[in-house]
Amino acid sequence: MSDFHGIIFAYGSVKQLGELVNSRTAASLPFCGRYRLIDFALSSMMNAGILDVGVIMQRDYQSLLDHIGSGKDWDMGRRIGGLRLLPPFGLPEYHKGDYTGTIEALNAVSTYVREAHAKYIVLLQGNTAANIDLKAVIRQHLDTGAEITAICTEQTPDYRHHRYVADADGFARSMIFNQTGDGDGVASLEGYIISKELLIGMMDACAASNHYHFHRDAIADYLAAGGKVGVYVHRGYAKRIMSLETYFKSSMDALKPECRAELFPAERPVRTKSREDVSTYYGEKAFVRNSLVADGCIIEGEVTNSIVFSDVRIAKGAKLNNCIVMRGSEIGENVILSAVIADKYSTVAPYQTLVGSQKLPIVIPKNSNI
Amino acid sequence: MKKSCIAMLLAGGQGSRLYALTQNVAKPNMPFGGKYRIIDFPLSNCANSGIDTVGVLTQYRPLQLNSYIAGGQPWDLDSNDGGVFILPPYQSAGEKGSWFSGTANAIYQNIGFIEMYDPDDVLILSGDHIYKMDYSKMLREHHERDAACTIAVLQVSLEDASRFGMMNLRQDGYVEQFEEKPKHPKSDLASMGIYIFNWKKLRKYLVEDENDPASSKDFGKNIIPKMLEAGEKLWPYRFDGYWRDVGTITSLWDANMDMLSTTLINLYDPEWPIRSRPVVRPPQYVGENAEIVHSIVTEGCVIEGHVENSVLSNSAQVGKDASVLYSVLMPGAVVEDGAVVEYAIIGENTVIKSGAHVGSAPDGSEEWGVATCGPDIEISAGAVVGAGAMIYKSEEV
Repeated sequence: MSDFHGIIFAYGSVKQLGELVNSRTAASLPFCGRYRLIDFALSSMMNAGILDVGVIMQRDYQSLLDHIGSGKDWDMGRRIGGLRLLPPFGLPEYHKGDYTGTIEALNAVSTYVREAHAKYIVLLQGNTAANIDLKAVIRQHLDTGAEITAICTEQTPDYRHHRYVADADGFARSMIFNQTGDGDGVASLEGYIISKELLIGMMDACAASNHYHFHRDAIADYLAAGGKVGVYVHRGYAKRIMSLETYFKSSMDALKPECRAELFPAERPVRTKSREDVSTYYGEKAFVRNSLVADGCIIEGEVTNSIVFSDVRIAKGAKLNNCIVMRGSEIGENVILSAVIADKYSTVAPYQTLVGSQKLPIVIPKNSNI
Repeated sequence: MKKSCIAMLLAGGQGSRLYALTQNVAKPNMPFGGKYRIIDFPLSNCANSGIDTVGVLTQYRPLQLNSYIAGGQPWDLDSNDGGVFILPPYQSAGEKGSWFSGTANAIYQNIGFIEMYDPDDVLILSGDHIYKMDYSKMLREHHERDAACTIAVLQVSLEDASRFGMMNLRQDGYVEQFEEKPKHPKSDLASMGIYIFNWKKLRKYLVEDENDPASSKDFGKNIIPKMLEAGEKLWPYRFDGYWRDVGTITSLWDANMDMLSTTLINLYDPEWPIRSRPVVRPPQYVGENAEIVHSIVTEGCVIEGHVENSVLSNSAQVGKDASVLYSVLMPGAVVEDGAVVEYAIIGENTVIKSGAHVGSAPDGSEEWGVATCGPDIEISAGAVVGAGAMIYKSEEV
């Protein structure tokens, strides 16, 4: 039995993602041509040999269930242990809305956490585009003797976030809550390694006092009481997808070779649900520049600075620039699209023009005909 | 567990005419058509036709093929009662054991495997054909015609007939005679090397053939003629779809080029998917100055140069100002900046260093041919590999 047990938070629907999360959670958002955001967390666990993993979900999780299945694509379809999908059960009576915080989400599946056969729990957020080397985090956690290790980034998030300010010894001195923009210390990616005993103590204490903020309540109290919180800085690309604008921007970041190298290093491959696809065919008049294209597409038109998911059809004369076209979509002849996100299986009839902006891309909802 | 029909897939051939490409791997494991390995075609056909038990007979360099097929999960052949089984030659108590000495002998040596499933019929397949075929239709005809053996046949031109085993038919449509590579063909129906046999009958002929010291233990040369001689009913099942044998460099190259035309073989048809073991690489990246025309490209590729009329398997790379024309790049092949690859097949993980030139366009001469570079080699910077060359060691250039 491994000393480490993984838990991925995939319940957040993140309203700022608008129509993209009409029928999915942020963690199951299609990303980078063939992945879902949660693939990064699942693959990080897999690449560190953590194959006992629970995924906490709350609603709109059909697409997540479909994507993860038995977990076999991440070697987590095991006879013993392996992947466990954790939809809500045993919610407190007063609870009607979304999980208010990490602690509440954990308490909603508290039996599962209590029964985990592991000394340490590894927590990751399902909506993070980052290839985190959990082996390195584990090594640091064990070497420093920290009770909690917080996974952080030096990159400045474009949403409200918490920050850790560390002393020279690598342990956190203080925390800054709800920061917008740059600040002291490093930004929390809200991923942690924590001993199971300590985590359960925090869950119980918070439940007893009706507290549910992992950072402001549990960790801050622990730190104030002299607890040892280590800070691990993840050096590669890291973005939590919290808004349509970040989603669009992060998607486009993947066109840069240095970002791709950080998101998809050869030594830590990102696995995803495997599909029966064909290679992509580029037609006689195809013109494709600076774009990521998944398999199974037939491209006859022009595609520049765009992300094209699998099984997409782009007809002759169509011109796409700065677009994200998701699986199974069909773009008709002579269509012109700029800064448009076409969700799965959407169809754009010939001779139409849609122009969005980088700040506010136009979203064509899933399954729609335009 | 009783099965009505199981498949036996002959995947032991060496593919000696593809030498540079098959020195370390069995031909059925050869990357093909961007996304596939050759064996994906018969395995997918089995899965799509509802045949859930497949024995794969291996002999030559089977290691990579074994790990590729593994539990058969990509083809949904990982069922509880049935599945895909790798069958190497083996030794029985008190016997010395021997290699498979012919296609019929390979099946003879696995009579024990077949009898575990007690099938009514056995489908014999070859691991080096590219085609989409519904074996259940062939099986239906086999039963309707009450045949001891049904042979899939393809109409070919009379010029091509001398390369195939040809079927001459009786008035009532059953097979009268089988002629191996006839000089003066009497019919235009070529055997595709795909057979359905009534198992009880096949078993009898296999045992008889095994005891015939003069026999070369081959289905086409021995078993079929013996059945005809004995007056068995052999029915030709006419197939009119796309079918290619990829036994030579030219035919392998041709068939890859055919994948560029959906009118020849439509791989995008969701009704008949050809499945392969997924490799899961990031999507292909097409660079700022890339140009890709009339080509198929696969996940993990990074294209910065010019690609035209070509087939690129996963993770191939084409550098800046490099050209890949009328060529096949197998998985992980790298064409560095400024290199030119034309009318060529480049093996897995082979690197064409910058400024090298591999292959050339047809010049109408007899000697012209497709250039081939085997897997895991390096063609040094500025080197020239001529048309028709077959390179399998880095030192050769």
